[in-house]
Amino acid sequence: MSEENYSFFVIAALIAAKLDKATKVARQLSLTASNARAVALRAGEGAAGFRPLTEFIDRLANVTVKSSLAINKVAATLSHTAAQRFRTDDAIIRFEIIYKRSGDSKYINSLDFGYQRTQKQQQTLFQNYQYQLNELAGELDMLKDELRTAVILATLSRVEASQAGSLYQDALNNVADNVESAAKHIKKHIETSKQLVSNLQQG
Amino acid sequence: MQIKTIFESASHKWLVLGRDIEKPDLIIDTNQYMVISKNNTLLMDPGGIELFSAMLATIIKQVPVDKITHLFASHQDPDIISSLGLWDQALPNATLHSPWLWESFIRHFGMNNIAYAAIPDPGGQLKLDEVVLDFIPAHYLHSSGNFNVYDVEAKILMSGDIGAALESNDAPMYVEDFDSHIPKMKMFHQRWMPSNEAKNDWVNRVSLLDIDMMCPQHGRIFKGDDVKRFLDWFEALPVGLLNIK
Repeated sequence: MSEENYSFFVIAALIAAKLDKATKVARQLSLTASNARAVALRAGEGAAGFRPLTEFIDRLANVTVKSSLAINKVAATLSHTAAQRFRTDDAIIRFEIIYKRSGDSKYINSLDFGYQRTQKQQQTLFQNYQYQLNELAGELDMLKDELRTAVILATLSRVEASQAGSLYQDALNNVADNVESAAKHIKKHIETSKQLVSNLQQG
Repeated sequence: MQIKTIFESASHKWLVLGRDIEKPDLIIDTNQYMVISKNNTLLMDPGGIELFSAMLATIIKQVPVDKITHLFASHQDPDIISSLGLWDQALPNATLHSPWLWESFIRHFGMNNIAYAAIPDPGGQLKLDEVVLDFIPAHYLHSSGNFNVYDVEAKILMSGDIGAALESNDAPMYVEDFDSHIPKMKMFHQRWMPSNEAKNDWVNRVSLLDIDMMCPQHGRIFKGDDVKRFLDWFEALPVGLLNIK
């Protein structure tokens, strides 16, 4: 079964799981930023042009970790709301079966309170669900924009690495590779999540 | 789902619900019991999610839902109380009476509106208008936190899994021939009940009660002398066995 065919509450949980992975990769980016600072310090004048870039890598790492944590939280809330919605929908279906099958029961009207309360809850959950879905879509777009910086940073890092002494060239190229790879992985999780969010918005 | 009145007096009546021919084949057949007094109704071991619609549809032929004020779950198993999340949506004002041991577990079924009244290990009482019902400890029979419900006026013991039998959902509601009923109960008790000590202690306590009807959650109701026959048989039966012959 492809992911698009799962029930909405399973998809919401899948999104949360994918974004959890993105958070872990973002943490690796933080390590890369620390590593870049250490290499630039050791390289001294040989990597003078690289040093300002480490601040940008650091900033990117911080923004990415913070943002992916926030997104993860929204996704987890969405997943919880979706599961609650599923349960409430299920209760509504069962109420309606009883109305259909036992409409002539002596006390059928006594179900009305529970049914209306559940309907109200269903409405509230649906509104919360839509809101959280839109919030998640917006946060994903923002993080995707932030990650554009990563490509530029990786390119600039490579340029600076080529001008550094041969002793530090590999280490600096490695920093550039790590930035690029982390951004690529996070982007992949974001793209998949965006697609799943879009499916949920349409469904 | 069938519903039958098994006791009726001026103050209250007992009903059994079960033998649902529309239930999915692979789920175990269960008996649910209901005590209706003047202003209150107690629903005992209300069953699993799969039974909810049939149960509620049957019940509202007898009482309005706002009169279902009490639920009782003898223990935590899914066939006993996994419908709780749905009852929680349906009942405007109800309390669930269940072993203290299982409160934090049973709440996993979903409980936002229903209140949990934890029954302590030694047992307790519930008053439904003028009707007094006793929660009789039946720990380790089979669950480690487990109660029966005894009605001294009706002389009925709702015995949960004790006395249960595995049989088809078109079986009669009452035991008709005790000896031929034994093979349907034996494996259930030997495999599901873990403790001979707990079993003998229960038999000793329950033998002191005046019981006309013993009502298990699966299988058939024991009436009259069959109650004593069951107690004698159960006392002699070794339980907690894995390789049952």
